[in-house]
Amino acid sequence: MCFKNLPIEFDAQGKASLKGGVANPYSTATAGPPNVPKQLTQEQAIELVKRNGHIKDVDFDPVTRVAGALAFHTVADVKERRVLEGRSVATLFRGYEVIMVGRDPRDAIYITSRACGVCGGVHSTCSALAIEMAIGCQPPPLGVLIRNLALSLEFLYDNPLHLHLLAGPDYSEAIVKGTNPALIERAKGTEAAHVDVHGFRTIHDLMVDLNPLSGGLYLEALHMTRVAREAYVLICGKYPHPQTIVPGGMSSTINLTVMNEMFVRMSQFFDYAKKMAGIWEDLTNFFYDANPEYKKVGARRANMIDTGIFDDADAYDTTYKNANVWGNRRWCTPGAIVEGKLVTTDLQTINIGIEEFIEHSYYEPWTGGGQQQHFPTDPAGHPLSPHHMWNKVTKPKPGAQNWKDKYTWDTAPRFDRLSMEAGCYARLWNTAVAKKMPDNPYITATGHSLKMRLPRGKLPETEIEWHVPDVWNAFERNRARAYCIGWTSLIALNTWTAAMERLKDGDTKTSTKFEIPKTGEQRGVGFWGAGRGYLTHHLVLDRGAVSNYQIVTPSTWNASPTDKWGQPGPYEEAVMNTPLLEESTDPEQFRGIDILRAIRSFDPCMPCTTHIQSEAGMITREVNTCACGLDE
Amino acid sequence: MSRTVIGGVGYRNLRDYSLGVVMSDELEPEARPPSLLVEDLCYGPVAVGQWFLDEARDAPITRAVFVTAVAREDGRPPGTISVYRWDHVLPSAEEIQRAMTDAVTGVILLDNTLIVTEWMKALPAEAVVVEVEPMEHAFGDAMSPAVAAAYPRACELVMRLAADPELSRLLPASPLGGCWAATVQPKVVW
Repeated sequence: MCFKNLPIEFDAQGKASLKGGVANPYSTATAGPPNVPKQLTQEQAIELVKRNGHIKDVDFDPVTRVAGALAFHTVADVKERRVLEGRSVATLFRGYEVIMVGRDPRDAIYITSRACGVCGGVHSTCSALAIEMAIGCQPPPLGVLIRNLALSLEFLYDNPLHLHLLAGPDYSEAIVKGTNPALIERAKGTEAAHVDVHGFRTIHDLMVDLNPLSGGLYLEALHMTRVAREAYVLICGKYPHPQTIVPGGMSSTINLTVMNEMFVRMSQFFDYAKKMAGIWEDLTNFFYDANPEYKKVGARRANMIDTGIFDDADAYDTTYKNANVWGNRRWCTPGAIVEGKLVTTDLQTINIGIEEFIEHSYYEPWTGGGQQQHFPTDPAGHPLSPHHMWNKVTKPKPGAQNWKDKYTWDTAPRFDRLSMEAGCYARLWNTAVAKKMPDNPYITATGHSLKMRLPRGKLPETEIEWHVPDVWNAFERNRARAYCIGWTSLIALNTWTAAMERLKDGDTKTSTKFEIPKTGEQRGVGFWGAGRGYLTHHLVLDRGAVSNYQIVTPSTWNASPTDKWGQPGPYEEAVMNTPLLEESTDPEQFRGIDILRAIRSFDPCMPCTTHIQSEAGMITREVNTCACGLDE
Repeated sequence: MSRTVIGGVGYRNLRDYSLGVVMSDELEPEARPPSLLVEDLCYGPVAVGQWFLDEARDAPITRAVFVTAVAREDGRPPGTISVYRWDHVLPSAEEIQRAMTDAVTGVILLDNTLIVTEWMKALPAEAVVVEVEPMEHAFGDAMSPAVAAAYPRACELVMRLAADPELSRLLPASPLGGCWAATVQPKVVW
């Protein structure tokens, strides 16, 4: 049974329908999902702060010089070393949904690309997929393969960037010596297990090379992002906002020269991936051994969602009707994981299980008041919530911040009314457990792990294996992200080989002509993914123009606020579970490194830049950036 | 042969904030000596630094004239043109890392571009900045009347400064943000 909270059941053929006898199946006036974490009420939080001097009301507030857009409010008990309340606040209205209404759908590829300054290609692609589905335009196989290659290269840019330019400094010698000096002493005496791969004899050596601006790993990551970007622009023209992604494929000209130049760059990631896996294995195990409490940093239920990515060129037909089939043939399997168990890999089931709520968001409701639900079902006839993206209408309503009422511009997406997190690790987990990925010589899903055979470079051919973890926390997010570099590079290798076979056969067609229908209403959805996980664009066309456009990004899920039932969003839950393991016992010296690690492990994107400040002016720290500020 | 680069910095389709890219688009097709490059530098500062390093392999680039719209929010009226020669003094390591973070996550801002390219040892020895105080921060291609009125003058200044090294050397060396932001130095407002 996939759904436990929504009244949806499936017949023997897998067709979903609403359970009989439920008067208002999508009502939010229910008790909500049982056995989920709950926020403190506002009254409880105020009372705690009033009674206890050691309980601090701490704000992580956006004060970035440029584009900060996420704040984080916590109530922290510094004496007990735990966080009592966490509130995630997206402080900017972005409004792509509003900008898109009335436009030619082809504009969406270029406009929505700007939703992210790191991963514009994924939005362009997701947009193209939504249009393809709406208008019925199938790309040729080489177009699908080249699209896969382009986006895998984007991830090879994104994941190293996060691990060593943004998150890595949190674990560097420069930072840790200020927050946990005892760990530095321990690191000096701890030998690194994977020295033969990464070359660092001790964990301290490794931590020194993680130092921002000067560390070897930092500088190497900077270089590797260039290598990936160079390969990407061979296909896409420019980075991050590509010019060659179109409905029906890619407008790039692909020939042997382009493929060879791409391979030269792509192949550099095989050795790098071996090194990254070793580094994050050693680093994670060091922290766990030093203090098992680190397993609680950023910990939350293993509830994850992903729509899969990288299509099988022979399976993808753009249709919603066959989405379960082509979705399950993807290199990264779609899936929803609840409490560590994979409950579905079907895109249609994932789609109908998602709703967006706005109880704590600066939007007006689009349901109720006698408003008729635009789409009662999906195109396959499955029931659809009035809170679903195809039914949603974006109605911004700015207002004052109030934890009890509205406090964020982010919405609260929920799957089966559960708070889910997104990340590249979600697709790693889905794929490892589902065992549905295409047969290939390099990657094997075992049901509990993913084995990756990385070809010989300067380092020998090496098999690395990511295991589904027993606990889910900040360290596991980073560890999994490190393995994703190897995984993505091998998907790229498989895809590159398939594309070369097509070229050898004289197949050079990368796109299919299309026309935008000028009559009637059409629906489409792009199921794709970003370097940091889940991505969907839901599109409705009316007489050739966009009448509704809804984007749900990984950060929409991860930064989501508490919902109507008191269930916190993923950042909020992860921070509330985080013990404060800094060595200082002085509340005035509270730095928040563990909270920073918790939030940063989600790879929050730039528009979600987060800073910390106390209302007493005590702390001002960034979250999604390096924690250099802790080293004052 | 040493070369000079005119670089436009900003965002496309962001009204006044597109001034840099509009200017580099407009100047790019103009006939000019081979020692003068016009480049759209409206992309990640790390990539801009790498571009400078790559270009320098062909022939040294000794001067750069950057043009951008930047809100200093310190009383400078919209449309004000400020010019300065950056003193190449980097901020603290913490600030550099913040600039790097912004840079790798997609933020395009001249201060970041200067900091990051200088940190990468990629920035030409002489870096002149022509900046215009913007007013409109919204989607669209039309500049506000104040910035549109300043545009031709800014364009002329950029070309003069690029063509005449002696003129730019008359400018005082200033910290980031220029004299406008540095209270110890006189304002240079055109």
